[in-house]
Amino acid sequence: MTSTLKETVPPMAKWKALDIWCAVAGAASLALAAWSASTVTLPINSDLGLIGVLPYPFWAAVLILNVTFVVALRGDAAGPARSPVMVWLVAVQVLVLFGTAVFVTDVPRGEVAFRHLGIADALSQNVAVDPNIDAYFNWPGFFALVATVLKASGLDPVTVALWAPVFNVALWLLAVAVVTRYLTKDPRRRWLVLWLFCLGNWQDQDYLSPQAFGFFLYLVVIALILGPLAARTPQFSGFRRANLAAWWRGRTPADSRPGHRVSALAITLLLIVVISASHQLTPFMVLIALTALTMAGRVWPGRLVLIAGVVLVLWLAYPASTYLAGHPPLADAGLQTAIESNVVDRTNGTAGHVLVVQIRMALTLLLWTLAAIGMIRDWRRGHLDIRVLLLAVTPLLLFPAQSYGGEMLIRISLFALPFVALQACSVLLPAEGMGTRIKRPSLLAAGAFVLTFFLLAAMTVTGRFGNAQYDVFTNNEIDAVNRVDRLAPDGAAIISAAHPTPWRNQDYLGHRYRTIEDLCPSDLSAGTCGPLIYGYARHNVAGGYLLLLRSSESSLVVQGQTTTQGFDELENWLSDQDGVNLVFSNSDARVYRVGP
Amino acid sequence: MNWRGVSRPTLALAIAAAVLSLAVLVGLPAPLQALSAAAVLVLLPGQAMTRLTPVTDLALVALLVLALGLATLTAVSTAMFYLTVWSWQACVVTMGVITIVACLARARQEAAA
Repeated sequence: MTSTLKETVPPMAKWKALDIWCAVAGAASLALAAWSASTVTLPINSDLGLIGVLPYPFWAAVLILNVTFVVALRGDAAGPARSPVMVWLVAVQVLVLFGTAVFVTDVPRGEVAFRHLGIADALSQNVAVDPNIDAYFNWPGFFALVATVLKASGLDPVTVALWAPVFNVALWLLAVAVVTRYLTKDPRRRWLVLWLFCLGNWQDQDYLSPQAFGFFLYLVVIALILGPLAARTPQFSGFRRANLAAWWRGRTPADSRPGHRVSALAITLLLIVVISASHQLTPFMVLIALTALTMAGRVWPGRLVLIAGVVLVLWLAYPASTYLAGHPPLADAGLQTAIESNVVDRTNGTAGHVLVVQIRMALTLLLWTLAAIGMIRDWRRGHLDIRVLLLAVTPLLLFPAQSYGGEMLIRISLFALPFVALQACSVLLPAEGMGTRIKRPSLLAAGAFVLTFFLLAAMTVTGRFGNAQYDVFTNNEIDAVNRVDRLAPDGAAIISAAHPTPWRNQDYLGHRYRTIEDLCPSDLSAGTCGPLIYGYARHNVAGGYLLLLRSSESSLVVQGQTTTQGFDELENWLSDQDGVNLVFSNSDARVYRVGP
Repeated sequence: MNWRGVSRPTLALAIAAAVLSLAVLVGLPAPLQALSAAAVLVLLPGQAMTRLTPVTDLALVALLVLALGLATLTAVSTAMFYLTVWSWQACVVTMGVITIVACLARARQEAAA
């Protein structure tokens, strides 16, 4: 198949002392990070999240790791350290940044991974797809995969969810590595892209989820389009109709072997179908990227974009039609709505929480600014790669189309990240001209790299684990959830204080799950909200269970929806009502039964 | 077809798919069951299908093995759910058959070469 761009530096033949020292330093930093993170005690009581409680040795480990990477990247006159050493350092980076929570707790973070396990379980129990249940059952591909893997492997679902971030980021990095091989020939840049991809990946979308799976397949599609399915364009001679037609007809396939292109096309079509069946947003990202690259003349099969569009429309028109009938895709379109839900609504809460949100934005802006400077620099020197630019910028087109529950900007920044990282390399590791070999970074530049990478790592840990006060659960909280699952009869309402709650992984369809913040969206005061919750539980035929966890109370307080005192008043009001009895409690949770 | 022209990796892949599929269906101790299931459901079909394409770049091969294995398993599982015939055992058998069929196709290529 199409060969990747050949490295300008031949691989080193023998292991050098530098390689061995770098490998050992990487191992030492991993051991130090794992040990220091394991000393953190739960629950986490800082509105800054994990960064507020991680001990100094963890940061020493992060510093050692970044110094080691820069030393390895700098290497010697022949190039960076050997590939196995660089792979090892990237693997350590993945474990340190994305496995930190695994060293702290044996319970997966957040609510959604639990919910996704419940959906996979519900599918395997029912052996059918009922699209009327909810949106997930209109895009069941990923859940079908999880159901099969869990049942066949016998693995503990919670353990799978716990390690999913490490597994997913490893998959993404493999795909980014292949994509990068088609876009730059410099080995230092290739390794630096992977490092920056990790350092800028605060979005926390790598848990057990269809979007993590979809993003992996998206990157594979991009790799195939940039590789075996790529086209070379002739000199562009203007926008006149005849010139455009001549330009389009003058394209040639980058891979001259038809059989190779056909097999790559078949794989791409399979991936597009699977992406369309698995996630709502990712097919649109694929379509946008394909359209942009096709219009730039960089995709050889010109009709691939039409086929992708037809697959997407067919999926929306048939398997997903039940959901779309009640949820038009452009219902909440508009730039102002998008800004309000993606930016304004997220900057509420305690001072620490607002700081975390600001650091997430600052990290994204910092990387995008570096990429923009790199782009201008490349353009002025005449070697701007239009493919990188298009792949970095086009995800932004979806921003005004859908607020996506206030998460569109997060998703856009993730899809753009590999190409933003690559474009940022034009600033960090500049080349003087097209095809010019990139010089070994000076000692001064290496020092600046260490400072920059350490700063980015601190920002990423802050951003990723900034909600740890309410999305890292204790065993007591899990005990309470399990107890409710056992106590509540079929059809009973289970009411938690707020998202995230680690529930729905065992009996997804058996109960009616609600949160206090859903039932009382505007006012959580005891006088207003109390009667609404009580009435909802009381009027449910099978009764209701009120599940009050430390984490969900923290979620409401940290995000500024109530105060500790206000929440206590609400709980006291509810516990004083007729038919409300405390049926379970421990230091992190209370469960009340509300009789019908 | 001249079976002598068939390579050992192709034969090994087909035999491994058959044996491991049976082993997963019968049941193995905890860590072996997970490893065998990963091989039968993802790695072996991914490898068998990737070998049908003339890919030579090792990094792309590794990526395609995982992507093809996962995507095919997703497609098979989803189709079975829509047809209400899903069971994990049926998925194991189907993925085993897909691997063996891909190996047969590869064997034909090798025998013809």
